[in-house]
Amino acid sequence: MASTVVTDQVTLTVNGQSVTVPKGTLILDAAKKIGIDIPIFCSHPKMAPVAVCRMCLVEVEKMPKLQPACAVYVADGMVVRTTTEQVQKYQKGVLEFLLINHPLDCPICDKGGECPLQDQTYQYGPGASRFDFEKAHFDKAVPLSDKIVLDRERCILCWRCTRFSEEISGERELALIQRGVHTIIGTFNDEPAQSNYQGNWTEICPVGALTSREYRFISRPWDLDRTASICPGCSMGCNIQVDARHNRIGRFQSRENLAVDDGWLCDFGRYSFPTFQRQGFEAPRVRQDGKLVEVSFEEAIAAAADGLAQARGAVAGWASPAATNEELFLFQRLFRQRLQSPHIDHRAFRPTWPDPDPDDMTLPIADLERCDYVVVLGGQEVIDAAPVLHLRLFKSERRGVKVLKIDAEQGARAREWVPADAQAVGILATVSHKKEATDLQAALGKKVKGSVRRLLVVRGPNGRGANDLGILPNFRPGYEGLNGQSGKGRAEWGKGGIGAAYIFEASPLHAFEATEDERRWLSGLKTLVMHRFRASPLDDLAHVIIPGRAFTEKAGTVTNMEGRVQRIGRAIDADAVPDDWMVLQAIARKLGAPWDYHESSDITADLLDLIPQYAAVDRGERVLWSERT
Amino acid sequence: MPLRPDTVAKIQDYARRYPSAQSAILPALWAVQYEQGYVTDEALAEVATHLKLPPSLIEATSSFYSMFLTRPEGRHEVMICVNAPCMLRGADAIVAYAEQRLGIRDGQTTSDGAITLRSTIECLGACGGAPMMQVDHRFEENLTPDRINAIFDHLRTAPAFHEQPPAEKKPARRTPTVSGEITRSGPSGARARTRKASK
Ligand code: SF4
Ligand code: SF4
Ligand code: FES
Repeated sequence: MASTVVTDQVTLTVNGQSVTVPKGTLILDAAKKIGIDIPIFCSHPKMAPVAVCRMCLVEVEKMPKLQPACAVYVADGMVVRTTTEQVQKYQKGVLEFLLINHPLDCPICDKGGECPLQDQTYQYGPGASRFDFEKAHFDKAVPLSDKIVLDRERCILCWRCTRFSEEISGERELALIQRGVHTIIGTFNDEPAQSNYQGNWTEICPVGALTSREYRFISRPWDLDRTASICPGCSMGCNIQVDARHNRIGRFQSRENLAVDDGWLCDFGRYSFPTFQRQGFEAPRVRQDGKLVEVSFEEAIAAAADGLAQARGAVAGWASPAATNEELFLFQRLFRQRLQSPHIDHRAFRPTWPDPDPDDMTLPIADLERCDYVVVLGGQEVIDAAPVLHLRLFKSERRGVKVLKIDAEQGARAREWVPADAQAVGILATVSHKKEATDLQAALGKKVKGSVRRLLVVRGPNGRGANDLGILPNFRPGYEGLNGQSGKGRAEWGKGGIGAAYIFEASPLHAFEATEDERRWLSGLKTLVMHRFRASPLDDLAHVIIPGRAFTEKAGTVTNMEGRVQRIGRAIDADAVPDDWMVLQAIARKLGAPWDYHESSDITADLLDLIPQYAAVDRGERVLWSERT
Repeated sequence: MPLRPDTVAKIQDYARRYPSAQSAILPALWAVQYEQGYVTDEALAEVATHLKLPPSLIEATSSFYSMFLTRPEGRHEVMICVNAPCMLRGADAIVAYAEQRLGIRDGQTTSDGAITLRSTIECLGACGGAPMMQVDHRFEENLTPDRINAIFDHLRTAPAFHEQPPAEKKPARRTPTVSGEITRSGPSGARARTRKASK
């Protein structure tokens, strides 16, 4: 008997080229694998096929009619043709239909220049329309929310935005209202959309129907300078592209990293960019006879070094969890080696903080999908702290992962809920509920067979880096103890023994945020140095104010909550303002340090010597502390 | 105007009948329209709450179907089919007669508020009894001017569909036969089936 080999692979030909793909692959993807592009509008790799636009029709031998490549699965021996005369005729036809009521206002459309409808009309469409009747008219410039504006005439009803709302964010805010030629995209009763993920609609809309109000009429896409970077919004570390025009930020766009953001951004992060927009040159200031007077950077740095040196041994240092690893590395060296003051911190005020440790991030973000049970300890609080996590959780749920969202105090319920035969359990919590998370982890560790891992959402795009690099009173970089040499933490600074403070507020989104009590002791200091990008509420207490750079104006690395070290890029020139690390170096040099860095990448090299785990930065991987030897 | 408790109870009952609450949207919308005569945004929102579905989905569904009214109309709805089979059997004349009789045109309501006329309706699936019209939720087939007169006279005084006692809602008063033809529509006119042998 002849044996047949059963495989999960099928072989077909596309335009005469043979290709082998797994069963269940769409014709569209099989063609893409051998570099054959089939034009699409409605199809999207992260959404289920609907085949409503008919742009992707191809010829399949033995099938009587053209077939939508985005919805037909491959079969063994299939013969597909994508460029025949018939296909071309249909492509022209589909585009002519799509354009019948399209306003063709490309010259005033924000999408013009990066618009699939425009591009594909050039490539596959008819040169002219035969439709010389009056076009159907719909509402234009409809404010869908405070973030998005909708042009109903430009919409080609591809359902991508409604499917995003249903399949990706699960909020189901957008819907197709009415039917036939009257169909429009809208929200219930025209209420403003509430979603925190609306910016993604503008990126997936294949025409200029959904656009960002912040980016309205800002730039032509070909005029944008694009810089790869990381979102400054939170510790998720979503990858972004900073699009700038005339040295001003135009928008943040997503830059897909499947391990982190899965291609999406939240609106909090995406539309945070005006916060980082520079408002003109600001001179450094030094307090003389009670009044702040403008000085040069040189003078301000000298005054800062002077004031700090006088309080040597008793200087408190706070660095924002939005500063880069390079800056933080210098910061802790300045304090520990030059100022003999290990009193450094990066945290928001809280009377007691649990100690951070590498185990806070044993669960990588992408592994949420591979858990069978996930407990979100704190529910919405966790989502608010890192909004794109919601999209990953919702995706996981759709794939069968059981997700329980409960208050941080309800750990007992989660203990019941997770069954003993669970294979992989994940616990998500914010760092302020670390204790509850570790307790639950310990309890579940005893109960279940499989693994129980946790991921803590920290504060700031580099909150994890600040922990790793020892911007803490009781840990050196790499979570090394200090053998009794611990300094005072933020909660103790007000209790006496501190003579000066250096507050490095790198991002307005992750500022010092002084409590009333803190303001009181800060106002009693002999020297307060404020090194910050934007005016701070503490400026009026400061003796030295050194303007710093925005997140978008510097290069370096930041570490996201799961320990992934990623590079941020300098998208905006701010040459009149010294880079934040240069200010730190200049102060240290005044105090006798022999540092001589010329680029932030020189610092990265030194940092890697001290913490070899950070070599992961060159591989885009997570820092694997647990594999430390 | 919030929905009446009995309507709410009906909607909740519909929701329980299906594996997915989404399937209960159409019956729920009917319940609303039966009670209030038309469907307001407020009622859509209420349906969404009872079915635990996003309101956008309820609006998407109700706006897709033309039979859900968005403003108050006549107590009775008369829809005359003008699709091919009815047209071939004289629908145009029927429309003209109805319009003249009621003194209104497509989409309008008689001044006494009794009847809303729709005379551009596509196939309602009762071609076997063409020409036909649908009155509220009942088919009237093999129309003649006399039949139309009788129906309209009845409607002038009859209560709205949702206010009728249950017995009256039964469809199909028998339609008179057209001379020389065998009517095969409606329950009583259906072609007799060969009996299945019992056992
Ligand atoms: S608004 Fe854009 S994404 Fe939504 S259906 Fe219309 S064309 Fe598609
Ligand atoms: S989740 Fe955080 S990192 Fe991601 S886009 Fe939102 S604010 Fe930015
Ligand atoms: S891309 Fe295939 S039908 Fe729209």
